[in-house]
Amino acid sequence: MKRDVLKFRKSDLLAAALVLLAALLTCALLPRLMQTGEFASVYQDGRLIRRVPLTVDQTFSVTGDYTNTVTVKDGKIAVTVSDCPTNDCVHQGWRSSGGAIICLPNRVEIRLPSDGTVDISVP
Amino acid sequence: MRRVRCLLLAAVLLLTGCAVQVQEPSLTRYEASFLSLFDTVTTMVGFASSEDEFRAVAQQIHDDLEEYHQLYDIYHDYPGINNLKTVNDMAGAAPVQVDRRIVDLLLLCKDMEQETGGMVNVAMGSVLQLWHEARMDALADPAHARLPDQQLLQQAAEHTDLDKVIVDEEHSTVFLSDPQMRLDVGAVAKGYAVRQVCSNAPKGLLISVGGNVCSTGEKPDGTPWVVGLENPDGGNYLHTIYHTIGAVVTSGDYQRYFIADGKAYHHIIDPDTLMPGTNWRAVSILCEDSALADALSTALFLLPRAEGQKLLDRFEASAMWVALDGSEYFSPGFEERLKT
Repeated sequence: MKRDVLKFRKSDLLAAALVLLAALLTCALLPRLMQTGEFASVYQDGRLIRRVPLTVDQTFSVTGDYTNTVTVKDGKIAVTVSDCPTNDCVHQGWRSSGGAIICLPNRVEIRLPSDGTVDISVP
Repeated sequence: MRRVRCLLLAAVLLLTGCAVQVQEPSLTRYEASFLSLFDTVTTMVGFASSEDEFRAVAQQIHDDLEEYHQLYDIYHDYPGINNLKTVNDMAGAAPVQVDRRIVDLLLLCKDMEQETGGMVNVAMGSVLQLWHEARMDALADPAHARLPDQQLLQQAAEHTDLDKVIVDEEHSTVFLSDPQMRLDVGAVAKGYAVRQVCSNAPKGLLISVGGNVCSTGEKPDGTPWVVGLENPDGGNYLHTIYHTIGAVVTSGDYQRYFIADGKAYHHIIDPDTLMPGTNWRAVSILCEDSALADALSTALFLLPRAEGQKLLDRFEASAMWVALDGSEYFSPGFEERLKT
């Protein structure tokens, strides 16, 4: 059978499409793959005191002038109870990425993993 | 075999292309935040070749902001500084020698009061003090939360004439000729301080002082910053917007408030009713000038939309209003900046 060596066949197209798809997927997932997992970082008085995996449901307290009860559930984190006067931290609700949950009176900042797009958030 | 090699080559090329696109190799993104300024959170984002380099920039900006924070503070004294508390304490008694940064702020405030038809009036300190005390009392003892006394509010409102703030530019003094008047620059101070500090900061930074966001230029790779506008009800972002230069700020009824008889009372007080404004849940402003943006967000929060739009036209700014029912309204120029 006579055949041009460089003739394009259907299977080539399919293979090319597959490679392209794989490459695009890798591009999309690379930043995520390079991360060491989804962690929230808890700072008190500007000092990192704890890193919390958002994959592990848990509850813990951060005590300073006041006490914040922090809960991790279903990949999200929130200050669920606080004895600080304003409770702004509790009102910030459940968050999974982007920005930070802040308790000003307790000088606590819970930095969320970057969502890859938002650089800063406006309350 | 040859085909396999071709495919491998193609894959490698595609991957390399994407890796180059993802990040400029020499610069790393850094973030710093401080909880000690203006009774709010200050965040900075920037790119630098080392953490030490970024730290030094962030520290310099913090130190500059701290000076503004101390000058505009009406609650605390600082050794060796005549600040706005000093000016308030000397109301009716004598002019106070002040830093140029106080003179300049007050001159701008006088302009803004004119422009906004009195909606932004920094001479309302006596009225705001009553609301501040009510909020502090309510937060300390929620069961006994109550509103400021109406009669006291009315009396305080008699002492809010900005013309009685005598600013002597030449001698750099400020005198409150009405002994019962108090200054409270909360509606403009953060925006003004951010503007001044940004104008001397290195390019390619994003700074937020309590939501007064100011950028000193796009990211090093030439792409715009993305600013997330938080949802008044908590949780995820209401919108994200592209931001290259200038300011973004939001005034909202959910930011500083207390609850009395099951009703929330926030901190943006309408000079006409002496009560918290009830037109909107939140107003976000995009404007080149951060000081203007701060003042406009207060003014627009208190005004009906048509009047707010007039101010936007006058100052070449744009806005998003969030109504009490959650509806969103956009001025010309806002939609173009929306990412999501």
